[in-house]
Amino acid sequence: MRLKFPRTLKTGFTNFYRNGWLSVATISIITVTLFIINIQFAVVISDNLLLNDIKERVSISVYFKPDTTEQDVLIAKDEFSRYQEVASIDYISKEKALEEFKKENVDNEIMLKSLDEIEINPFEPTLSVKAREPRDYDLIARAVNESAYKDFINTVNYDKYSNVIDSLGSEIDSNRQTGLALGITLTIIAILITFNSVRITMYAHSREIEIMRLVGSSNNYIRMPFVWEGILYGLISAAIALPLSFIYLKFVAIPEASGVVLPFSNSVYIEQFLREIFVKNAVKIVPAELGAGILLGVISSVIAMGRYLGKPRK
Amino acid sequence: MIECKNISKIYLGDSPALENISFKIEDKEFVSIIGASGAGKSTLIKILHAEEKPTSGEALFDGEDIVEYKKKQIFQHRRDVGVVFQDFKLLPKKSVFENVAFAMEVAGKTDEEIAEDVPKVLEIIGLEGSEEKYPHELSGGEQQRVAIARALVNRPKVLIADEPTGNLDPESGWGVLESLIKINEYGTTVILATHDREAIDKLDRRVIVLKDGKIVSDKKKGKYELEEK
Repeated sequence: MRLKFPRTLKTGFTNFYRNGWLSVATISIITVTLFIINIQFAVVISDNLLLNDIKERVSISVYFKPDTTEQDVLIAKDEFSRYQEVASIDYISKEKALEEFKKENVDNEIMLKSLDEIEINPFEPTLSVKAREPRDYDLIARAVNESAYKDFINTVNYDKYSNVIDSLGSEIDSNRQTGLALGITLTIIAILITFNSVRITMYAHSREIEIMRLVGSSNNYIRMPFVWEGILYGLISAAIALPLSFIYLKFVAIPEASGVVLPFSNSVYIEQFLREIFVKNAVKIVPAELGAGILLGVISSVIAMGRYLGKPRK
Repeated sequence: MIECKNISKIYLGDSPALENISFKIEDKEFVSIIGASGAGKSTLIKILHAEEKPTSGEALFDGEDIVEYKKKQIFQHRRDVGVVFQDFKLLPKKSVFENVAFAMEVAGKTDEEIAEDVPKVLEIIGLEGSEEKYPHELSGGEQQRVAIARALVNRPKVLIADEPTGNLDPESGWGVLESLIKINEYGTTVILATHDREAIDKLDRRVIVLKDGKIVSDKKKGKYELEEK
């Protein structure tokens, strides 16, 4: 064991070096694999950021008639809160609505003046309802309109968002599914390609393996140099793929984000992904990427080795 | 040392490659196995080297059945039984020294042992001074002797040579056979499978004749005769 370790490591390095273009080709394939997985990963996470953002921004505004008492509005709020589809409800009183309007139009003197002149608060008490899932807004709006409080309600401001919400909800869903399917398919293809190139490496060494077996080498001793070689492939590939993905996202995807290269993600969310998730979790992501590279190389090596080893034929 | 008891080997859908073979090889013996192509020589060698298992029968090595060996024992067995082939099986990118050292590295020998033993073995087979040459710089006979050195360097109890002179001209072939005789005189059992009529007649040692997977003759001092007279 003491001798096995440095010897197989040395052989692994020598094989790697002597393989020349085969090593370059194998590394390229693993690099592309990891790159594609990285980008898929970034797209899915950016999509999630986008979805969360939309969920944050979208709500149904339920405007009550101006003379509805605060108590009635709060009772209605409690009732609506019981709907399973509702995530949260904010109550905005007439006064608060006026205050916020003034704050927003602090530069618009005419508007503020005219508000002062009419002397009454023209705003209506409002409930701002957020749904758990975008697709549920339609359902909630209908339920509110048919509830026991419908006589207090002036308007349910949902219609102008309805198309956007509906299409966003279903598009994000289908986008996630195609993204996942694409990711899995590409990964499988990439693993097959990697496996195949390791097989080619093995084939190039089949004579050496045959002789090792003939002179009484243990299976582990035969396997180890190829495992080292696989580790080397994966390590180098990961070291290339990770910065490459970062550079691609930052300098290609963000400026060009048009929904074609990265469907449904725009530069804002990729930027957010890089800044808030990638950079902050680099300590975890870098080892994970290297680990994934090593795993890909090692698993492919070990599977590819299989047919050269084994017991005497029956 | 080696004892085969009723060994048969049947490949699926084929007539038997070996049929009820029984023989005994004593320590330090020099035995030739001859027979036409397809007589079963290679199959027999593969069984003795633990590369294939017989369909039935026992192959005893120092009293233990090779057929029953566990993985670890198989690796050890292949170090105890050196093999040499018609096509030498040298690594073209390794020097003579490295080709021989390779077998010792595999067996887990230290670098000091390798530095000590490899030149000794090369001297025995008459290749001292060629350590740094590569296989393509050597003649066929010299390449085969490198292969013998590699088979020998782990001090095996038995050396099996499968058609070692098949690719060589008669003169180089005889050089290789002389190496085998020398090795045998140093105390290693030698099993030689061959077609080489001249070699067998010159050797004047024990000859086992195989035909269609059966032993047709086994003589203490045999000549090259494929058919029993």
